[in-house]
Amino acid sequence: MKPIRTRTVRAIAVAITAGSLALTGCSSDSGKDSGKDNSKSKDDAAAQSTPVAYGDAQASNGPAEAVAGAKTGGTINVYQQSDLTHMDPGQIYVSDAGQFANLVHRGLTNFQEDDKGNLTVVGDVATDSGKSSEGGKTWTYTLKDGIKDEDGNVITSADVRHTIERQYAKFIFDGPTYVQNWLSGAEYRKALPDGPYKGKHLPDSVLETPDAKTVVFHFKTAQPDLPQALAMAGYAIVPEKQDTKEKYDKAPASLGPYKVSEYKAGKSVTLVKNTEWDPKTDSVRHQYVDGYNFSNTIDQASQTKRLLADQGEAKNAIQFTDSVDPAQLSTVIGNAAAKKRTIQGYQPYVWQLSYNLDSAKMKDKKVRDAITYAIPNQSMVQADGGRYGGEVAGGLMAPTLPGFDPKYDPFGKLKKPNGDPAKAKALLKEAGFKQGTKLSYAYSNTPRGQAQMLIIKDALNKLGFDVQAKEIDRATFYEQVGKLKNPYDLYMTGWGQDWPSPGTVITPVYDGTQVADGSPNYSHIDDKQVNALIQKAVTQEPEEAAKTWEQAHHRIVEEINPGAPVYYSKQIQLYGSNIGGARYSTESSYIDINDLYLKKP
Amino acid sequence: MLQFLIRRLSGAVVIMFLIGAFTFFLFYTIPQDFAQLSCGKNCSPENIAVIRENLGLDKPITTQFWEFMMGIVSGRDFPQGHCAAPCLGVSFDSGDFVWDSIMDRFPLTLSLTLGGLVIFLLFGLGTGLLAAWKRGTAVDKVVSGSSMVLSSFQIYFLGPIVLSLLVYNTGWLENPKYVSFTDDPGGWFMGMLIPWAVMATIFTAQYTRMARSTMIEQLQEEHVRTARAKGMRQRYVFFRYAWRGSLIPIVTIIGMDLSALLSGAVVTEFTFDLAGIGRLAVEGSLTKDLPLTMGVMLFGAFFILILNIVVDLAYAYIDPRVRLA
Repeated sequence: MKPIRTRTVRAIAVAITAGSLALTGCSSDSGKDSGKDNSKSKDDAAAQSTPVAYGDAQASNGPAEAVAGAKTGGTINVYQQSDLTHMDPGQIYVSDAGQFANLVHRGLTNFQEDDKGNLTVVGDVATDSGKSSEGGKTWTYTLKDGIKDEDGNVITSADVRHTIERQYAKFIFDGPTYVQNWLSGAEYRKALPDGPYKGKHLPDSVLETPDAKTVVFHFKTAQPDLPQALAMAGYAIVPEKQDTKEKYDKAPASLGPYKVSEYKAGKSVTLVKNTEWDPKTDSVRHQYVDGYNFSNTIDQASQTKRLLADQGEAKNAIQFTDSVDPAQLSTVIGNAAAKKRTIQGYQPYVWQLSYNLDSAKMKDKKVRDAITYAIPNQSMVQADGGRYGGEVAGGLMAPTLPGFDPKYDPFGKLKKPNGDPAKAKALLKEAGFKQGTKLSYAYSNTPRGQAQMLIIKDALNKLGFDVQAKEIDRATFYEQVGKLKNPYDLYMTGWGQDWPSPGTVITPVYDGTQVADGSPNYSHIDDKQVNALIQKAVTQEPEEAAKTWEQAHHRIVEEINPGAPVYYSKQIQLYGSNIGGARYSTESSYIDINDLYLKKP
Repeated sequence: MLQFLIRRLSGAVVIMFLIGAFTFFLFYTIPQDFAQLSCGKNCSPENIAVIRENLGLDKPITTQFWEFMMGIVSGRDFPQGHCAAPCLGVSFDSGDFVWDSIMDRFPLTLSLTLGGLVIFLLFGLGTGLLAAWKRGTAVDKVVSGSSMVLSSFQIYFLGPIVLSLLVYNTGWLENPKYVSFTDDPGGWFMGMLIPWAVMATIFTAQYTRMARSTMIEQLQEEHVRTARAKGMRQRYVFFRYAWRGSLIPIVTIIGMDLSALLSGAVVTEFTFDLAGIGRLAVEGSLTKDLPLTMGVMLFGAFFILILNIVVDLAYAYIDPRVRLA
């Protein structure tokens, strides 16, 4: 998932509306609440930082545990500010489509969440989370009985093979690439240039389907995270008979509890019950409501106004992946009835001030450390919605990752959240810093980006830098700073995990072997020690790997410092008064889409 | 007449081509890589190359332009299927045929425009004529004063107030939404009521002021005074002489407003969370979606050019002295 990046492109149109132009910079959440975090975020984070368990066949059997008091019937209205990024599983990599996928698609595995938010990977269309052999190089999956697509076609191992192989085709370019890379290497497309569409298949030595029920993955190295990777919506099943290639993105076939009955591009999606879905085969999902009506043109400000008013159809409505409008946050928090209708928690993203390590001005670690010490993290949080929008970060790993250490704070940010300019100046003196050194700071032209630019500019100018702020159009921000030869010295970037493993953050963002145009390694860090630790961790079992990831994290933050940790992202969502079963999902970091029902259908 | 039409329509085609060329080549002056912009999280150089090929960006710019323009005339084939003429290409962002996206959004824009037009023409011209008829009286002062105040309002100001009053606080009306007239005429009317009312309030005020001032101007013309001097009835003079004379500037403005609204009522659509041509235009522009932007631009230009011709024809009908040559 990559909402921090993707939301930019689609959501931008929405910011045109008058109401949303004021937003973050001047938002305040100094309502009547005490300074305490009442959001349960800490508890959620505790659950999120627990390593994910791998479930057996018993845990994978349906039906899912019933939600207390749940009723059946009615339709839930979903408010979204822009269209779903994709509906074809192969193209799904971001939160909105991921949430949608849980209603419509099913993969080999899925995340099951208990009432405390603890996660277990269970078999979804497979009987369990997978059986590994050969030291984790081989994974075998057996399909459950009774899994059918919306037209009643039985899902077989051929459909699973088709799902994986179509990811090699050129029209699939937006989804995850983990499994393809693990099976066929970085240039995986060359292994099957046309996907499965011209009769060719991956050899049995790579992907094997010995019978209609069995699928075997053969990797060159151990892949202990495979059950979690396969739980990504990007690897949900596309039945061979139903595959319409490019057209599938507009009319996918369902295996989940709901199917698409109508899709109007850029406007709406209507989901109705999929009668071929058998709850006995699903240990995660429910089918309490008759359907979902997505309205994909309602901006964040309007969503908040409608849900605050709680009139008419808004009583049956939810925010899907958008958050409360920061400009109305204090109204929501100050309104006891509305506040009861919120879900709050951490998002998997860490905002960091990335240093361009290719820039001569950023080569000296003392200069980077000085800037890191000087950044007033708390002010940066205030510019993004205050304590409901974020929390000062000590490190570069989010609270949603297993092994998160809330006390980790090498730059003393938790003690001095508004920075330590004295220490910064001392470090600059040691570095032989010249007053008036120009620094080029790139920022996105969002209200938040503009507010944070002023804070950074002020903090660094006080140290003696001459910060040249360079505004970049929000739609092209990551394209510009993602260029290897970009002309900037520093920029704010954010990244979130793909599943609860530090590997899905450290590998893409800090692996020196992946430095390239467009790569999320925005600082261009290429440290042999970090690279070696990554290579070691990706083949280790989760518990062992956790220690290696921690080692890599400490090496990155303390000994290299490619980016100042600024804040952990949080979100708050509203839902209507007739919605039952609403809770924060530690897996999606949004409203748990699996347990919803209407109190009065 | 026929000669006039042929000449104007030929000119319109040339102008459309020039607008298309200007937009297309202007887009390429922006220093950015559309393929990288469309690239997802795993944005490797290999993926960028694949996207470039998928979008046809690996071809020379002139070839891309030629294929785009030829698509309008004869259609094009894409992996998604055949895009029939007038094919405006495939959106970089959504992968939809641009013409289909426009046609999907157009009914809302048309409903918004025509519904609003009926209201603001009826009320705007009606109150303007009334104020001119009752010039200098209390009625004139009330109409002039209120139209002055209302015309200074903006949709993004008035819209949220009306929504707060009628939807959020009282629940008297549902949030605006578009449903097809053929599916549910009642739902269509109720869904569009607030946008029409807000849009019409502002336009009504403008048309009131315009109708009043042009009528007063006309009433002072010599031919009107002569008609009065001949002893013609006041009502006859008002409508037969003055009204006809004041129609030309009004028709000109209606033509301009209509073409602007049909090209997309951006602020109205965003204020009321509606998805019409205006929202599509903004989405295309902000996501740097070249085919979508081109398509919407050309669609808007089409209406501007056609309505200009219609207005010219209307001039000849209103004023027989105008000759279509």
